[in-house]
Amino acid sequence: MSSSTTLAQILERPDVWRGDALAGAALPGVPTGFADLDRELPGGGWPRGGLTELLPLRRGVGELSLLLPALARLSRDELAWLVCIAPPHLLYAPALQAGGVDLSRLLVASAPGRDAAWACERSLAADGVGAIVVWLPEVQAASLRRLQLAAEASQALLFVFRPAACASQPSPAPLRLTLEGEGEQLIVHLLKRRGSAQSLPLPIAVQRPLRLRHALACPASAVSAARSLSRSAIA
Amino acid sequence: MLLLEVAASLRLFGGAAKLFADVIAGCAEQGHLPQAALAPTPLAAQWLAIGGDDRACCALDELPQRLGSLPLSVLALSSADDARLASFGARSLADLLRLPRGGLARRLGPGLAADLARALGELPDPRSRFVFPERFAERLELPMRVEQASALGFAARRLINALCGWLAARGGGVSECIFEFEHERGARQRPATVLALGFAGATRDGERMSRVLGERLYRLPLPAAVEFIGLRAEAPAALAGRSRSLFGERGEGAGGESMAALVERLQARLGNDSVHALSTVAEHRPENAWLRVVAAPLTGEKSPASLLPAPVLRNSAAGPRPLCLLVQPQALRELAGRPQCGGPLRLLAGPERIESGWWDAAEPDALGDVCRDYFVAISRRDEWLWIFRSQAGWFLHGVFA
Repeated sequence: MSSSTTLAQILERPDVWRGDALAGAALPGVPTGFADLDRELPGGGWPRGGLTELLPLRRGVGELSLLLPALARLSRDELAWLVCIAPPHLLYAPALQAGGVDLSRLLVASAPGRDAAWACERSLAADGVGAIVVWLPEVQAASLRRLQLAAEASQALLFVFRPAACASQPSPAPLRLTLEGEGEQLIVHLLKRRGSAQSLPLPIAVQRPLRLRHALACPASAVSAARSLSRSAIA
Repeated sequence: MLLLEVAASLRLFGGAAKLFADVIAGCAEQGHLPQAALAPTPLAAQWLAIGGDDRACCALDELPQRLGSLPLSVLALSSADDARLASFGARSLADLLRLPRGGLARRLGPGLAADLARALGELPDPRSRFVFPERFAERLELPMRVEQASALGFAARRLINALCGWLAARGGGVSECIFEFEHERGARQRPATVLALGFAGATRDGERMSRVLGERLYRLPLPAAVEFIGLRAEAPAALAGRSRSLFGERGEGAGGESMAALVERLQARLGNDSVHALSTVAEHRPENAWLRVVAAPLTGEKSPASLLPAPVLRNSAAGPRPLCLLVQPQALRELAGRPQCGGPLRLLAGPERIESGWWDAAEPDALGDVCRDYFVAISRRDEWLWIFRSQAGWFLHGVFA
């Protein structure tokens, strides 16, 4: 056997990647629902058995809408459970259902402080959990590392929301994205991924309420109409 | 002596002969060489075993003939009784069985006659059940002295199997067990090396215990060669058996705990109210259009009701709904006729009028009558918000996350 064959074999391993190419993944990813994003992710989607760190610059830029197609697919098609831990606001059931999530397979746990990371680790160890979405605003690097190891042992998707200020800190997550709103679009920066670096921002057309009905013809008149209606209600 | 009542289990284990062979093999695995017999009554089985007759005997009417071939020594009678029987001319059990039972009872006391009747199945012979001891403590002598700690794992496996059997019989699991390695007696007797194994939760999984033991043995220094291994365990916690779902919900038996166990565990630490599921309600007021419901994952199959597609309560007239809702609407300032939230908000869609609700206005904690105009608004920092205007002014109610 020539040495070049051996080298080729080594390069085929999923945990070895070349600097100029996107890494392959041991498990195919879960399609994100956005073709532009799938193309840029190793494995062609959200990585199974890996920590994905999401760093939204502000709330309300479409950070959850970005995950919604994948979550809907897991709960509906793969009959997997979704676990949401320590959401900062109420997760609004009608909107989740409208987004395609099977509510009978959703578990919400409010866990203060360090319990959130613990609950996350327990969920990763459970059979039947397809995705975990956890908000960890003040997590330590050590527990993030633990979560990454626990995620590697499972096949679940693990999404960790952290403040954008953490972008400058090192992180054990193999995939890190910062999320930024720009008008109607969500701009995704791939801070870190397995394989070659990607520095260009990716505009993603997440589901925005404007695409539905009720476009406002003339905001000012609508406001005054609303006000007059409110007044008539008082009277 | 170990008596097993197997009549009820013959079908499950594939017949008397197979079950008998399995029991013998199981004993051999544990390092015992049993002298066993199979008979329709406990006393007959005991005598056959002592007599060394291990051919299975399954019918009551075979018994007099099979027992008859046994010597009298299997009865373990007192020497006086033995001598009297010899003087009757009885040499084997067959001779004894031929004697009239009434005369036998008068001469040798009722005990022997009753025993014979029990052995032949003429009298019932109830036995008390074996009760497992409260604590588990077993000791095993090694066939040869072991100097290497890592070589102890194999012998310890036998004790672990015994522990798992004890736990399975009690329906429990342990979160700690203690190994004691006694060293060889010599000029300097060393105290036993004690190794306590701790587990994350109560378990009776032998593989898991062996794995933990292997890890620990790998790093254990032994001051001297080991002669005996002891295993102790106390206070087993109740541990229900786990039933696997027929088709495997997911993970293909990855060995993780079930969803039901996860919910229990989270509730145990976070509180029952902190772990819940969500459901929608056909209601127009946003706060009332959803419900916290008890998280009750079905361990196995789905119930017929949940197999039906859930009715999507999306009213075609309803506008967009945000993924995140604020617990309490947050009041917004108004400047120059525009709501403010980190700068003026731009209204993109709306208004959607949501009003009325007088029917629960009198109830405590109910939302009651509302009159709101909802808008989708975008802030200067590109946050998508769900705001409404009511008589009291502008409020932020949701975030299009």
